[in-house]
Amino acid sequence: MQSPLRTLILNLVTWTLVLLIAFPLLWMIITSVKPQTELFRIPPTWFPETITFEHYWRLLSETPFLTYFRNSVVLASTTTLFVVCLGTLGAYSLVRFRYRGRETLAMLVLFTYLLPSVVLIIPLYLMMVAIGLSNTLVSLILAHTTFALPYALWLLRSFMEGIPEDLESAALVDGASRMGAFRDIILPQLLPGIISTALFTFILSWNEYLYALVLVNSDSVAPLTTGVMSMLISTFNIEWSLLMAASVMMSLPLIIVFAFLQSYLTSGFGAGGVKG
Amino acid sequence: MSATATNTPRLERAYARLGVLLIAPTILVFSLVIVYPLLAAIYLSVFSIYTPTLQGNFVGADNYVKLLTGHEFWNSLGVTLVWTFGTLTLQIVFGVGMALLLHQNIWFRSLARSLVLFPYFLSTVVAVLVWRWLFNDLYGAMNHGLMQLGILDMPLDWLGSMPNAMIGVILVGAWKYFPFVVIAVLARLQTIPEHLYEAARIDGAGPVARFWDVTMPQLRNVLTVIILLRAIWDFKEFDLIYLLTGGGPVTSTQTLSLLVYQEAFGLNRMGQAAAYSVGMMLVMLVFMVLYIRRTGKES
Repeated sequence: MQSPLRTLILNLVTWTLVLLIAFPLLWMIITSVKPQTELFRIPPTWFPETITFEHYWRLLSETPFLTYFRNSVVLASTTTLFVVCLGTLGAYSLVRFRYRGRETLAMLVLFTYLLPSVVLIIPLYLMMVAIGLSNTLVSLILAHTTFALPYALWLLRSFMEGIPEDLESAALVDGASRMGAFRDIILPQLLPGIISTALFTFILSWNEYLYALVLVNSDSVAPLTTGVMSMLISTFNIEWSLLMAASVMMSLPLIIVFAFLQSYLTSGFGAGGVKG
Repeated sequence: MSATATNTPRLERAYARLGVLLIAPTILVFSLVIVYPLLAAIYLSVFSIYTPTLQGNFVGADNYVKLLTGHEFWNSLGVTLVWTFGTLTLQIVFGVGMALLLHQNIWFRSLARSLVLFPYFLSTVVAVLVWRWLFNDLYGAMNHGLMQLGILDMPLDWLGSMPNAMIGVILVGAWKYFPFVVIAVLARLQTIPEHLYEAARIDGAGPVARFWDVTMPQLRNVLTVIILLRAIWDFKEFDLIYLLTGGGPVTSTQTLSLLVYQEAFGLNRMGQAAAYSVGMMLVMLVFMVLYIRRTGKES
């Protein structure tokens, strides 16, 4: 039995909280379309009086934003492709094969999944300098593997465990090879899990900051995270509306994922080690 | 297992070989980018290395003596514990609360869920830029909003003084990471059988009693896992704190991750930084072992 009053109060409370949580995001969008003159009004105007897209235009035409964007796309896609390919084969092996050291390996994966980046960053930096890869996108792709691979492997392992073995056994009895059964039976069933893992990996790599800060220091290879932050530091007079426009643009892939593929994100959560 | 149950030992061995072959590329990459650097970090920690030239010499346990006797490591450990405890508590309280609300039949539920979820997936760089703009002492929406609501009389310096800086960092951390708790708890809430609530209702339990007697016991397992996982992740957080305050004012928000970074790339003492990172890892090992044992038990 729900009384109308109770429903009303529940909705009001919930939506007030939700809007409070979403406020920084709304503020980011509002700031990005305010003209520079309106920005420095005290007290601030909660709704923009005039809407302008000049900051977006300046961002794309006068700053290296598009270079950063391209670098981030290359970096995140390559990392994702690399890690998902390795991870799918690895997860298949960890779940469906029996050999010595398999359990230890699974524990090692989980351990590295929790490892702090700052422990690995010093040796990785020295390694990249030594093999002449410092300040390249390749060094970042390798560095991103350190957190993306354990993550993808762990996620894919959970998805793989959810696939019943009967079909695979039947195919094997019918004379299919293991790899044939993998391609025809496992892969199609694993596809939602692969998409979910790929989205997570892409977002992780897209958002990563520390490795980019240490391993890359020139504009031509900087991804969005360090690139946009350098726009904050390099200007004497911080142009907040420009930075907010950059923030909105930087969140575009995420907004697209949220609009169309959100169920894959929430299904990844169930698999990602939080099944209590 | 059933796939191989009827097979001959020869086929069994062939399968084992195939299994090893499939995992081999992963092991190779793992050894190269994780295991080797991990061992190298421990090795480097007994050297004294000047970052710009990368020249160094063996100093034995000196770096560890400095870690134990100097105040930097302990100061940062204290800061890390305050940050982790503060932000984790907020994440759990708000996360469980929000999950309970979003579990109800509210208007536009899926839109509300999306909005709540969003900060978690947002880039830390974006989150920090927005919040630094919100916290801006002259034009920031935070100060003016709170002043218009009558909560503040004067604009506050949010990130430049203590304890405001720590409070600010903890708040932003809670905002960014509490959706993780919401999603995990929400998923669990949906699996609690309705008849448990019916039974409690028949026994005369009110909403509060139902929460403590039915919901909480059902959530206990998932909450333990969430707390362990988030404790580990918050403990090692770098981006958010580094970008919000840079560890300042002075070192009052300098967590262990920031200390390691600062030592290696700010003060150019790579060996000492490696020693700090090993120390940090040892502290974390307690939580890691707890989590791994728990997850291992379940699967």
